[in-house]
Amino acid sequence: MKNLTISCDLTDDSILWKYLKMGDERAFSKLFEKYYNHLVHYGNSISSFPEKVQDCIQDVFTDIWVYRQNLDESVVVKAYLLSSVRKRISRLQERDHIFRQTTSIDSINFLFDFSIEYHLITDEETTSKVVRINALLNELPPRQKEALYLRYYQGLTVEQIADNFQVNYQSANNILHRALVKLRKEWKHEYLLILLLSSNIH
Amino acid sequence: MENRNQYTEIEDFLADPSFQLWVRSKVDQQDWEDWTLGNSKMAKVVEEARLFLLAMKIPENNLSTEEIKSALESTWIKIEEKEKAQNKNVKLVKIWKNTWYRSIAAVFLFGLSFTWVYNNYFISESGIINYHDLIKENELVEQINNTSKPQITTLSDGSSVLLNPNSKLSYPKVFAKNERKVYLSGEGFFEISKNAKRPFYVYANEIVTKVVGTSFRIKAYANEPDIEVLVLTGNVKVNSNQKIKTANEKEVSLLPNQALRFERKNFTFNKITDITQDRALAKTLCSTIEKINFEFTDVPVDQIFKTIEQAYLVEIDYPREKLKDCHLTTSLIDQPLPEKLKIICKSLGNNSNYIMNGNQIIILSNGCN
Repeated sequence: MKNLTISCDLTDDSILWKYLKMGDERAFSKLFEKYYNHLVHYGNSISSFPEKVQDCIQDVFTDIWVYRQNLDESVVVKAYLLSSVRKRISRLQERDHIFRQTTSIDSINFLFDFSIEYHLITDEETTSKVVRINALLNELPPRQKEALYLRYYQGLTVEQIADNFQVNYQSANNILHRALVKLRKEWKHEYLLILLLSSNIH
Repeated sequence: MENRNQYTEIEDFLADPSFQLWVRSKVDQQDWEDWTLGNSKMAKVVEEARLFLLAMKIPENNLSTEEIKSALESTWIKIEEKEKAQNKNVKLVKIWKNTWYRSIAAVFLFGLSFTWVYNNYFISESGIINYHDLIKENELVEQINNTSKPQITTLSDGSSVLLNPNSKLSYPKVFAKNERKVYLSGEGFFEISKNAKRPFYVYANEIVTKVVGTSFRIKAYANEPDIEVLVLTGNVKVNSNQKIKTANEKEVSLLPNQALRFERKNFTFNKITDITQDRALAKTLCSTIEKINFEFTDVPVDQIFKTIEQAYLVEIDYPREKLKDCHLTTSLIDQPLPEKLKIICKSLGNNSNYIMNGNQIIILSNGCN
């Protein structure tokens, strides 16, 4: 058995990317199978048309294969794929906007609401805290929510998020930082208030 | 996580994959539990980070492997279309600007029309179409069996073909959306994956065999006077190739255990309703895969693997010790080889899987349920 599983090591992204560039169909298929689900997940978070999302992702992969010779060898594959999907979906939505003659400029809106991992929480105190944080999280502007999602759910670095949003590092950092600062401030404030109140009652 | 002792901000913990894993899935590979207890200074920040992650659940979508597979297949179709469109556009525009090439094009066009006339009149007159005439129009992958034993070929749609010695099969890397076409010279046993929306066509010399999902054998050697089609399961339709105008346009339907013999010289279809009565056919059947029974009732897996090895002339490598007590009851009749392996792996359970490379098959399994 042992010698059979060695081939699994070929899952390293940069190696697969290199093979893909050389025209290896299996490397292409492996990357596709590895990331398709992630990309659909992200796509659905910024577009409410699931069929168009899958179409866009397949177009991204089509272009990757057709123009494989022009691909940059040093990319971080996952970040590259996520940002390609974002660009394509935003292009599609801009086009739709033109047809509908609306004026919105940033066509991408993060659509997911954060929910609560109830099954991981056992006590009431934690539940009430988490419920409050969750409410605050969902009040954040869509862009801040998307940044949090990319950073702590998809695991992108701040640089990669900046790239994805087509802004500089500092701006991306600010978006993330502001979200957390605001959240912690409001939450702490409320939490202290509750503590004070409850101690007064006693 | 080696530098978690230097973490100061909530962000540091939130971004740590092993920390995320610990909170979200309760998988504590890096001993976060102990670490938190030993770092009381950080305990507050850790707790806060944990609450944040618990409040940040995202709806999950899990596509099945089948859905991803079919998405991959449609992507290959998109790629093929795009590559075709590009070759046409870019090259032709550039070339067309040169007058010299325009005159060549004129000559070429003349040649092309000549070939067309030739194909339509001369070939149909002689009435013989060979494998080479059939495959030259298409970009295809060719599988040639020069060995002395039948050889297995799997196609992109999950169908499998057992190709006899001295036989050739050509097929596109990816099938078109609405049909699957392959070209045969020689003899092969086909097991076609079911897909009513994409009929499967086998072009063999002067005849075309159409199916949607079934198993059958075709024998069409270039230098033999007859072509034979023999059906094991399902329903098969046989036509003459449309290039032959003189042949009587007739379609013959075949049911299991029926066969057809096409006489190439005078274009006659002879349907054989009882194959046991036909000595030539009965003889072919004795030594081939059709005789093998794929109905298994409480049979040890190694016995099933042995049967598949004999039927398809493949080698199967599997963890003997782990699977020694596994028995299966299953019917693998009328399934292409990849489908057979999939069914076995699924019945074994425990994430069993297989890898297929030419005639080498490796079964990955940790034993059965």
